[in-house]
Amino acid sequence: MKRLLLAAIFAAALPHLASAEDPIKIGYAISKTGPFAPAAQTQLNAYQLWADKVAADGGIDVGGVKRPVQFVVYDDQSDFGKAPAIYEKLITSDKVDLLLAPWGTPFHFSIVGILEKYHFPVVGNSAASTTIRDVKPGNIWFTTSAIPDHLASELVKMMKSAGVKTVAINTLQLPFSQEFKKYLMPAIEKDGGFKVVVNEEYAPDTKDMTATLTKIKQAAPDAILSLSYPPDSVLFMKQERELGINAPFQLVLIGPTDHFFSKIFGSNLDGTITMGHWSPAQAKWPKAKPFYDAYFKKFNEPPDYLDSALAWMSIEVLEQAVKKVGLDKDKLRQEIASDTFDTINGPVKFNGVENVTTPTMYLQFQKGEAQIIWPASEETAKMIKKPAWSQN
Amino acid sequence: MSVLLSGQLLAAALALASLYALVAMGLNLVYGTMRLLNIAHGEFVMLGGYVTYWSFTHLGISPLLSMLIAPALGACLGMLIYLVLFRRLLRSPKLAARVEANSLLIFFGVSVIFQNVMALLFTSTQRGYVYLDQVINIGNVAMTANRLILFGVASSACLLCLAFFRYTRAGSAVRAVIQQRDASALVGIDIDRLNIMVFALGFALAALAGVLVSMVQEITPFIGFPFTISAFVIITLGGLGNLFGSLLGALLLAAVEVYGTAIISSSFRSILVYGVFIAVLLVKPEGLLGRAVVAR
Repeated sequence: MKRLLLAAIFAAALPHLASAEDPIKIGYAISKTGPFAPAAQTQLNAYQLWADKVAADGGIDVGGVKRPVQFVVYDDQSDFGKAPAIYEKLITSDKVDLLLAPWGTPFHFSIVGILEKYHFPVVGNSAASTTIRDVKPGNIWFTTSAIPDHLASELVKMMKSAGVKTVAINTLQLPFSQEFKKYLMPAIEKDGGFKVVVNEEYAPDTKDMTATLTKIKQAAPDAILSLSYPPDSVLFMKQERELGINAPFQLVLIGPTDHFFSKIFGSNLDGTITMGHWSPAQAKWPKAKPFYDAYFKKFNEPPDYLDSALAWMSIEVLEQAVKKVGLDKDKLRQEIASDTFDTINGPVKFNGVENVTTPTMYLQFQKGEAQIIWPASEETAKMIKKPAWSQN
Repeated sequence: MSVLLSGQLLAAALALASLYALVAMGLNLVYGTMRLLNIAHGEFVMLGGYVTYWSFTHLGISPLLSMLIAPALGACLGMLIYLVLFRRLLRSPKLAARVEANSLLIFFGVSVIFQNVMALLFTSTQRGYVYLDQVINIGNVAMTANRLILFGVASSACLLCLAFFRYTRAGSAVRAVIQQRDASALVGIDIDRLNIMVFALGFALAALAGVLVSMVQEITPFIGFPFTISAFVIITLGGLGNLFGSLLGALLLAAVEVYGTAIISSSFRSILVYGVFIAVLLVKPEGLLGRAVVAR
């Protein structure tokens, strides 16, 4: 009888004991399969690195109480039509406490309606477009500072400072590169100091660029701008090397920050300029190098300086907000919208939906490392001329 | 205009055409003999690429050696798929009547399974390795050694195949089945054995293409589908079941891609490719070298 009583008391106490350590649920959907899966991988890696860290720490700090975390993860199959339904399911049926962002601009936009409907806050990451400013602020925020209009005006300034006179541009027909070009062409024209010698576009499934590259080679411009995505960035650079096109200023928009480019191009990557606003070499961001090291330890390769870093920043913002105000959605939304957060990319503060503290930057590979070369206030190394391709 | 006459452009077109032809040849064989719509064909290209990548980076096996290993594995897998999934389907006259639609569904399933198994095993990260990538200059044409190898191996494999079907007994039997399936059974051709052989050969060719692809571009579990589409365009252009026609179709597609973009603009690539495709189908619905089918 006594034993039974004890058991009853114990049982009654259990739910009470458990409440403090009740796991919180964090959900997200990301492209694990389908055409975007290769690109989404480096963001997913950052999420998984965080899951490891949370498990090792025994949970995250929720308003002063440490609580374990249970992740609910779905595959959106590279279909941004599916993302809203999955996020709605995460909110209504899985009843998650927090959400992480999906991969890519269209996926971010596709879930905005759901977030507004449920007033659920999400800190976005791998989305960049001027159209983010059209999103009603309050439910989603974007950590990136690589917004096409700023990128375009900074690129023109950078080319000017490098003494560029003639420019060849080869643009992929996908939204981000097209948007970039939309702002770049007027910026080039307005400046008036450049001559555009080649201006070509190509479809995403292009298998050979010899024709365009032959034109570029004949024009021998000072600067070559490849406004491309990772798969065609590789094709462009490989065939450029084959033809020995040696312009001193070469920008490859998206791709080179993915570790896999160093593996393919080795020292030939040096001198290539690319989009990005993070580098572990930046001494004024003390969290940058430890993140790089932890990522390297888990995956045996460096993080993507764009997507992995952005994903980690978004987690840091969310984690710090939850630590301060707990899980209440309204308090969280207010906190994220108003506070300044300490991230691997330095302090981040939002105005509306946009990160307004991180300047727009450019990276350049030098001795295998991506260094910040623009603007001068942020630089970790001076810009160099791209060395001639080694063809051996 | 000088761009058009450059040897560089011609070399690029030929290299692309040889790869296309190799991929299309295997697809055409399987369709021609059995009327199976193999939309998983590109997945075998992808698997060939992974076999090469993995054995090179983990075991140090040269991709040149993988040109034997991967096709052998592809052939085994092809035979297995035939025995498990298609043998019964082709034997029963009732099922055989619906074989094109059924095969489409089955191969769709196979394609999804292969993509996702590879994504589970290797993640979706892009994989690539560097092998024989020094640039070789021949006259005023510059090309990396691995692209030259791709051209050499792919075009010889295609020509060997054509020779096999032209000059050997087994090859003639395959052509007989392509032309008159029922009649060839009547004259004593063992269709079941022939089917196994064609499956093995078709998938071996796809795997060989995968080896070559992995030498010049990066692979992910999802690279197969665009190859399947290109191959279908090519075999439709050249004439379904006509093996020489698929060579012609591949040359045409590559020429449109390379020269078309040189003359007009790369932005019109898809319009050009499918424009030519539709034009050929309008003028000659059976394909460039296809035989008009008499309604029975």
